[in-house]
Amino acid sequence: MKLSEREDELMTAYQNGDDGALEGIYTLLKQSLYSFIFRYTRDEQLSIDIVQDTFVKLQRYKHNYNPRNGKLKSYLFQIAYRLMITKLNRRKKWRGLLPFLTPIQTEEFHHSDRMTIREAIAKLPELQRAVILLFYYHDMPQEEIAKILEIPTGTVKSRLHTAINRLKEELEGDENESRSL
Amino acid sequence: MSHDPFKKDHHLCTKMDEYHVEIPDFPMKSSRWERFINLLASPAKDPVDPFISTTGGVMLLKVAPIIGAAAIALIQALIFL
Repeated sequence: MKLSEREDELMTAYQNGDDGALEGIYTLLKQSLYSFIFRYTRDEQLSIDIVQDTFVKLQRYKHNYNPRNGKLKSYLFQIAYRLMITKLNRRKKWRGLLPFLTPIQTEEFHHSDRMTIREAIAKLPELQRAVILLFYYHDMPQEEIAKILEIPTGTVKSRLHTAINRLKEELEGDENESRSL
Repeated sequence: MSHDPFKKDHHLCTKMDEYHVEIPDFPMKSSRWERFINLLASPAKDPVDPFISTTGGVMLLKVAPIIGAAAIALIQALIFL
């Protein structure tokens, strides 16, 4: 049985009143949701909060999910992405008002180090970052990414290509620099 | 999807695969209290940090309370005298 079929089966069971099925959905999708949010924000606590909030929303609106409209994984990623953007925007506002609330960056990038893929992805503009993470790490087709991010498929395609080129430039540029040193 | 844009770029794929994420163990639900504690426990930037790195900044930190106290004393004097 395919993983997506198992997820849908569990979701149907949950919608029909089997509360235990939710635990199964959580076990299946927690890791991919967390890794997406973490790679996007690089904030462990925020990523945990968002995964938990996503499942709270799923419980609250469990009957809104219809398998005909897409996979459960995409549905949860859409909820998580919206929650993440709302939280990040709220944070930006608060930090504008109270700059001392800015947390310490634990993984600051030092120019003396070679640029890793982490830094290269973190340097991407937010919209390109989301596209590349969903495409590469979560094997999502461009149509599904378009649904999650609520943008046209053409935009996904162009952002993906721009992001790939940027990543190549960042990584190659850094390698050339380290070679010349 | 028509084609995989990563297909031709093995170097980039290798680099992308290097990015592993460790998944911590956490429950499906957390209480508001736990979140509040996490918020309080999260390390925040020191607001006086930029001042400490320069001599002028250190001086300002030393002088600021004196100026503040003098200003408050002046305001009180103007009000009550």
